[in-house]
Amino acid sequence: MRNTSNTSQGSIGRICRTAVLCIFMALPGYTQVQYNGYKPVADLPAFRKAFAIESAKVQTISSDFTQEKELTALTEKITSYGKFWFKRSNRVRIDYTKPFVYRMVMNGDKMLVRDEQKENRINVRSNKLFQQVNRIMIDCIQGTILESKDFTTRVFENDKSYLLEMTPVGKGLRDFFQTIVLTVEKKDYSVRSIEMNEPAGDKTVIAFTNKILNAAVADDVFAL
Amino acid sequence: MMCLRSSLLIVCVLLMGCSSAYKGLTPIPVDKACAERMRPRGIATSWYTASIDVVGKHMSGLLLVKEMPDSSRRVVFTNEAGITFLDFEFGASGIFQARQVIKQLKHKAVIETLRKDFALMLGIPFEQSDYQAWSLDNEVFYGVTQKKESAYFITDTECASLRRLELGSRRKRKVTVSTAGTDPRRPEGLTLQHHTFNMVIVLKKLER
Repeated sequence: MRNTSNTSQGSIGRICRTAVLCIFMALPGYTQVQYNGYKPVADLPAFRKAFAIESAKVQTISSDFTQEKELTALTEKITSYGKFWFKRSNRVRIDYTKPFVYRMVMNGDKMLVRDEQKENRINVRSNKLFQQVNRIMIDCIQGTILESKDFTTRVFENDKSYLLEMTPVGKGLRDFFQTIVLTVEKKDYSVRSIEMNEPAGDKTVIAFTNKILNAAVADDVFAL
Repeated sequence: MMCLRSSLLIVCVLLMGCSSAYKGLTPIPVDKACAERMRPRGIATSWYTASIDVVGKHMSGLLLVKEMPDSSRRVVFTNEAGITFLDFEFGASGIFQARQVIKQLKHKAVIETLRKDFALMLGIPFEQSDYQAWSLDNEVFYGVTQKKESAYFITDTECASLRRLELGSRRKRKVTVSTAGTDPRRPEGLTLQHHTFNMVIVLKKLER
């Protein structure tokens, strides 16, 4: 009789544990992505300090980039190419050159967007979403993203790079991004790639190549 | 006298504005062979650059038209940086689903307008074959009626070419879809022009 009771209590316990586990796994945000070849950074405060100091040394960047947009459910991928410039502080220019032509210049609070048809100048202060996107891009490139209140961040590392997984806090950004994953070179703390993961499972990866750090970049490059 | 002329001009303009775009349509027997040959058969999977001008606002991005293995069709609009703005599914059984729409575009009127535009572009109204036919100004209109609107594909009288697609009410032309290129399944470009409000979508095929 006692044995039966113990067995039944054990079964109930197992069922409860399984149920609790299932409930937690079903909660959004519980499941965490693992990154192959990366381990969590042990001393996060030390990393934050080093990241802030080292990335501040990057005054300019000129680079090529390759952007791959993957529509997972549709098994479709589109690759685009272009050139990228950054100048501290708060100046970024992105020129898509193939297979379409598109320019985006961010210069402080001002933004220029030029597509194949039209040119549009935007004061990002007048649009919260533009302001946030502008801020994220600048923060990612100039190494201040860890100070952003828009994201919670997990940091990983391997021999050659750091990986920053950023999860949006506010609903506005969560509508667009599930996570943004930054890969940062250990040798110079420059960004190697930006991966934007959307809630529906699609993703866009921008990989920077032929990077030149701290060469002269004229202010005219960011003219609006 | 001057005043009279001005008044007549205004009356004429008003009358022209009120006249039906389809008033002159003359019913003719359906040329089934022509209708079958010219009927729009959708668009093969392709990427396009998209330029959208709507009531003074301009936006651009990329548009994917995808034919799925289950015969459904998807239309996906993203911005240049890759963020998906909308994802529409036109099911093989005729069921429409807005699978994904960003908050900024999530309005019934916006979704319904774009649904009709893309359905016309994909030739979905013409999948039913009970066409009627009319002639007007050296053109033949093959039309199907759906609720209070009619969708037309319009050919020349010799049935040598498909000129454009239209969506209209009984009186008003609402949307025109015109294509560029020689293969209607693989157009080099498409223009979707609205006539009842200021909106135009221009698509240009991306060569990858």
